[in-house]
Amino acid sequence: MLYIAGGTLVLPACFRQSGRTTIELTHLVVSDADEAMLETLVETLIPATDNPGGKALLLHLFVLKMVDDCHGPEDQQSFAEGLRVFTGWARKELSVGFKDAEKEKRETLLARIDDAGDLVGKFFSLVKRRAIQGYMNSKYVMTNLVKYELVPGRYDGYFPMEKADGITAK
Amino acid sequence: MANLAIDSIKERTFDAIVIGSGASGGWAAKELTERGLKTLLLERGRDVVHVKDYPTTNLYPYEFEHRGETTHADKQANPIANRCYAYKEDSQHFFVKDDEHPYVQEKEFDWIRGYQVGGKSLLWARQTQRWSEYDFEGPARDGFAVDWPIRFADIAPWYSHVERFVGIAGNRDGLATLPDGEFLPGYPLNAVEDHFRNAMNLHYKGRHVISARCAHLSQPQPIHIQQGRVQCQNRKLCQRGCPFGGYFSSNSSTIPWAQKTGNLTLRPHSVAHSVLYDEALGRAVGVKVIDTDSLEEIDFYAKVIFVNASTLNTNLILLNSVSSRFPDGLGNDNGLMGKFVAFHNYTARISAEYDGLLQYRTDGRNPAGGGYIPNFRNVEKQETDFLRGWAAAFSASRYENRDSSGVGQVLKHGLLNSTWSNWRVGSHMMAETIPKEHNRVWLDADRKDKWGMPLLHVSVDYADDDWKRRQDYYDRMAEMYESAGFTNIKTQDDGRRPGNDIHEMGGIRMGHDPKTSLLNKWNQLHLCQNVYVTDGACMTSTATQNPTLTYMALAARAVDYAVNQLKQG
Repeated sequence: MLYIAGGTLVLPACFRQSGRTTIELTHLVVSDADEAMLETLVETLIPATDNPGGKALLLHLFVLKMVDDCHGPEDQQSFAEGLRVFTGWARKELSVGFKDAEKEKRETLLARIDDAGDLVGKFFSLVKRRAIQGYMNSKYVMTNLVKYELVPGRYDGYFPMEKADGITAK
Repeated sequence: MANLAIDSIKERTFDAIVIGSGASGGWAAKELTERGLKTLLLERGRDVVHVKDYPTTNLYPYEFEHRGETTHADKQANPIANRCYAYKEDSQHFFVKDDEHPYVQEKEFDWIRGYQVGGKSLLWARQTQRWSEYDFEGPARDGFAVDWPIRFADIAPWYSHVERFVGIAGNRDGLATLPDGEFLPGYPLNAVEDHFRNAMNLHYKGRHVISARCAHLSQPQPIHIQQGRVQCQNRKLCQRGCPFGGYFSSNSSTIPWAQKTGNLTLRPHSVAHSVLYDEALGRAVGVKVIDTDSLEEIDFYAKVIFVNASTLNTNLILLNSVSSRFPDGLGNDNGLMGKFVAFHNYTARISAEYDGLLQYRTDGRNPAGGGYIPNFRNVEKQETDFLRGWAAAFSASRYENRDSSGVGQVLKHGLLNSTWSNWRVGSHMMAETIPKEHNRVWLDADRKDKWGMPLLHVSVDYADDDWKRRQDYYDRMAEMYESAGFTNIKTQDDGRRPGNDIHEMGGIRMGHDPKTSLLNKWNQLHLCQNVYVTDGACMTSTATQNPTLTYMALAARAVDYAVNQLKQG
């Protein structure tokens, strides 16, 4: 079986003890608990509604993949430290782990992320940026919500705005 | 054994050899084989068969592991390739990695290379403009380089010949500075590009904004269908290789065409080491090749040799073609080979916003990229304190704003419900540079690459006149933007290194006089006339146009001359 991280086919190289799918990483060391927390974080950022959210689209794995492959050692270290500090800060503020808190409490906490300091701020904006990238470039969004055209076959330089309703192609 | 050796030599003997399978080499091969010459086309890289070897061409963005980005490790390993605008996750297999073929940067120079069948014709920006009479007359009028040994009338029929086969989308604009060609329908300017064009016509004399002319099949003709190419589908994923053959590449066009004649032998994995010169005969007799798989040296023989290895590699091969008659490179008695290398200065951009015409946006994609402003500086006479001028690209677009603030449903709603920005306009400069003797390449005396070729030293840089030309671009474009009602005008030095324009030219320039040039008006080495150079190395000056169309036309013209010479014996 293949899993899709934000749309990428990922071989389930291993399963966590929890049974969760994961991916192989070269640089980052991420525990089962870290991964579960990140999964909750991307779901909090982009929740499931009548369509899938961050968890179902495996955006946490996409974030990890990008930080592992496309960022340098400095970013990776600050990501790892930021993740650790965020985890502790969230536990202190919420009295339970971020993963186990209620949705409203998680959202409220993220609204005051600035209180947690620069390290957490940097971590959070990296996760958010990469999660948004993974979401907008996911197969689900690109085929159902903001459709990507591989073969437009046309160009109109005077496309009337009033005709634009319901068309998201560009 | 003697017979075996004779058979082997026979098998390695052709009527013509072409070194390099990019845009100009592909054209030489097509023309030679169509005229009945058994032709060996040498390519140092691997074969890339049209469609079959475009592994990423039909992938969706989400099918790329890193959504198009190159990895940190790749950026660290290949800073030169990564600085090329077209080097992305979907195209990186068509670029030379930095450590694959080292060269010595005396000054910072980005040498962007594509070593495979088709060369950089798979990757080019596909912009195709003819040179004008002003461009060919430039060096003589302004007293730099040497006089071009040809004029517009010499090349015009060959531009037509190439354009009909390649397929060039463009409008007949009637400009002396940018002669019209054999055009397929042009891609239209959009609402704001048209607005800018009209404003320029209203406010200025001689500042024209036209639809960019490009090698895309806007309306394929029978000659294109015969090549197996169909209409461009506006994908703008050209750097992956096009399954429709919507843009011109050697792979989609000239090479399969040459193969159909039955006269072509394509030999990939073949680094051209040197052109072999026979002192008794007083002419070149073949090409020494290094097989990149076996590292074996193999000599191939022919009556006529076309060197189209790309500008700097053509310099390298001919400098490396030494004999007791030519100890400093084939035909290099005057010592000018490798000198007067020039390029285009692409370092400047200017952007702005426009709040009019908001009833329109664009839909689909424009493969031409938008508008083109032909050079209007120093055209009829010298007007400025720098020589020559610049051309500019110009385009306008609106983008979808997506609100990425907040978290949860607020964020999701923001991401999925976009609003359209106002119009954003942008331009980049394409400035002529003046060939200078100290801008040059030469061979390392000792160090060799893994194929036994001497390392190439590159010492090419900008000069003060380049910054004067750029300041003029900033000043003129800013006033033009203002007169069109654009706001928030911002200029930007993009800091790119020479070479990153991928328009390196010269080193083996054409001219009348063997004392001051290497090639004659038929692109033959003055001193070894069965060797022709019709890639960027032959360029006497650079003008402002994207150069590939001119290389292809020069290649076709030179083949016609070479074949006629052979037929006359």
